[in-house]
Amino acid sequence: MSRVNPGAYRAASARTIQNEPGVRDSVGSATRTFDANRVRAFGQIDSERWRDWARDVKTHALTNLDRYLEEAEMRLLANGAHVHWAESADDALRVLADVVARHDIRSAVKGKSMLTEELGVNDHLEQLGVRVRETDLGEYIIQLLGEPPSHIVGPAIHKSLDDCRRLFHAHLGTAPDATPETLAAAARDALRQDFLAADLGISGGNFLAADTGTVALIENEGNIRLSTSLPRVHVAFVGIEKIVPRLEDLSGLLQLTARAATGQPIGNFVSLIQGPKTNEEVDGPEEVHVVLVDNGRTELLADDVAWEALRCVRCGACLNICPVYRQTGGHAYGWTYSGPIGAIIAPGMLGLAKALPLPHASSLCGACVDVCPVRIPIPDLLLHWREQAVEEGLTTTAETIGLKAFTALAERPDAFSAAGALLRWTPWSAAGRSLPILGGWLQERSAPHPSQKSFRRLWEEGIE
Amino acid sequence: MSGRDRIFARVRSALAGRDRTELPESFGEWRLKSPPVSPVEGFQALFESAGGEVVRVSDRAGAATWIARFSTDFPSVIFGEHVPAELKPDLPSVTPEVAALGLSMARGAVAETGSLLMDARDGRRAQLLAPTHVVVLDAAAVYASLREALISLKDDLPSAIGFHSGPSKSADIGQIMVRGVHGPGRVIALVIDESVIVQDHKEGIS
Repeated sequence: MSRVNPGAYRAASARTIQNEPGVRDSVGSATRTFDANRVRAFGQIDSERWRDWARDVKTHALTNLDRYLEEAEMRLLANGAHVHWAESADDALRVLADVVARHDIRSAVKGKSMLTEELGVNDHLEQLGVRVRETDLGEYIIQLLGEPPSHIVGPAIHKSLDDCRRLFHAHLGTAPDATPETLAAAARDALRQDFLAADLGISGGNFLAADTGTVALIENEGNIRLSTSLPRVHVAFVGIEKIVPRLEDLSGLLQLTARAATGQPIGNFVSLIQGPKTNEEVDGPEEVHVVLVDNGRTELLADDVAWEALRCVRCGACLNICPVYRQTGGHAYGWTYSGPIGAIIAPGMLGLAKALPLPHASSLCGACVDVCPVRIPIPDLLLHWREQAVEEGLTTTAETIGLKAFTALAERPDAFSAAGALLRWTPWSAAGRSLPILGGWLQERSAPHPSQKSFRRLWEEGIE
Repeated sequence: MSGRDRIFARVRSALAGRDRTELPESFGEWRLKSPPVSPVEGFQALFESAGGEVVRVSDRAGAATWIARFSTDFPSVIFGEHVPAELKPDLPSVTPEVAALGLSMARGAVAETGSLLMDARDGRRAQLLAPTHVVVLDAAAVYASLREALISLKDDLPSAIGFHSGPSKSADIGQIMVRGVHGPGRVIALVIDESVIVQDHKEGIS
């Protein structure tokens, strides 16, 4: 996909903060609301016990992935679905192109799916001459704007009500001061025509139950139910890590995902899809294709530490609580998956060199691990990738030189204490202003005064 | 070697030497810290807090009376495939795309999530397209836990099951909640519950 550019993270986040101050306001407000709802919803249950259970189910599924993938494939085929395997985004898009050609598809509707963003499905469909419409309201907004999603659950949380008013006024002719209800109704009317006209419905998959061959989808608007029910063909893109052993395992996972994501007891609409319409049914798609996608997931699975990140259920709770994500929203991360979870799966899925500096986009405060419904040790994995980067020689020249200089200094006690004295006696507030970086920082701040004595000296004199 | 085989080879190579953990027990009983007195009560409380409406009647005759009265406000209706003749109001039956009211039968419901279980065999369009959706539910088919409901579904799965836990809604515009975005904006669960003594069927409509 063309938009993959984590390497520009630092410049992109600086640009967002400087040029688009509204983004921080919208993202901050939305993520605080999401998180407050999660806190309330976790308070209604024994969340510690549930998170242990969810971790164990997903860990079991991942450590037996081969077995469950075979079982799911067998069940889906028995249900009458078509099963495809995609090693890469190109493979997945080829499957889609075949379906489009075989069914002479002209228009498609799509339910919200991060995997289809990762694969670049929309761009590909447009190249094939298929008109594709995002039908989740948030996805629709950013499709009109030509932007990627900025959050796993709320793709348009970086946009304010006024942003949406301007956009809908331009595209749908609503009044410049229309209420959210009026705007939503206008979108409903426009998209209803797309639903009824579409030949193809596209979805992702939140879970895939191996024992029944069930693709489970969570949503609030009903657009996924419509996208997977009205068009004559349904294509579901499902990451291979989405597998769970048993249909009843969805009981805990559906509830925990909803509670972690939005604080609801369950998504307003859940679809359990087994296959195409049967003879007993009056409607539903005639063909269902399930595309099982690797695209870097087996690389992540092969990492003896970071594979645990594959437990992720994409609830967005780690984004909502992250003090770093809240400053910029997701676009700065330069990839489909942003925030703490993006920073730990990008190195495994894209390759570490390409994913840097995302593992550094964190203060390691650990808030994310406290909220994760499947207990992914996110800060540990961030450190793991930072260590890997050093081992693979992927650190920046400045960092390498700086650390070498520090090492040299630290190995010579006299030089070390002389350097310490120099730093203690430097008038930072005055001298700092003329230095790069520090100068900018000191424009609105005064530097703290260093202690007059070193720690070693204080220790020798006896600390009370 | 096919793409499928290469994926399996990579999965097996990644898992070689890694402990294959045990599958935990399927989660026993979901318990809210304050559990409901009965499954129907639990379903009603959560369905209503999600913006759905619940009307309880004591038998099918009561349900038919309620539907007949309620439907007078609507110009047209689409029926689910399994709606019995006795529950069908005297209203023009039209295609789901243009119907003002949808009337469906629930396969069951779940107390702990406040969800109606909608079976594809009853007709998906009738469940999704009309702005108002009335769903008839037998109180005996309300499961206490989602786990029990899923286990009950397992032996008889249609192409799709939908859990509907309230009206369609979205907060994607400026984080302000609006209803009726794509699916029905108004959902009423009409619960036939023999244990309920309801004489005035207008109750609960408000």
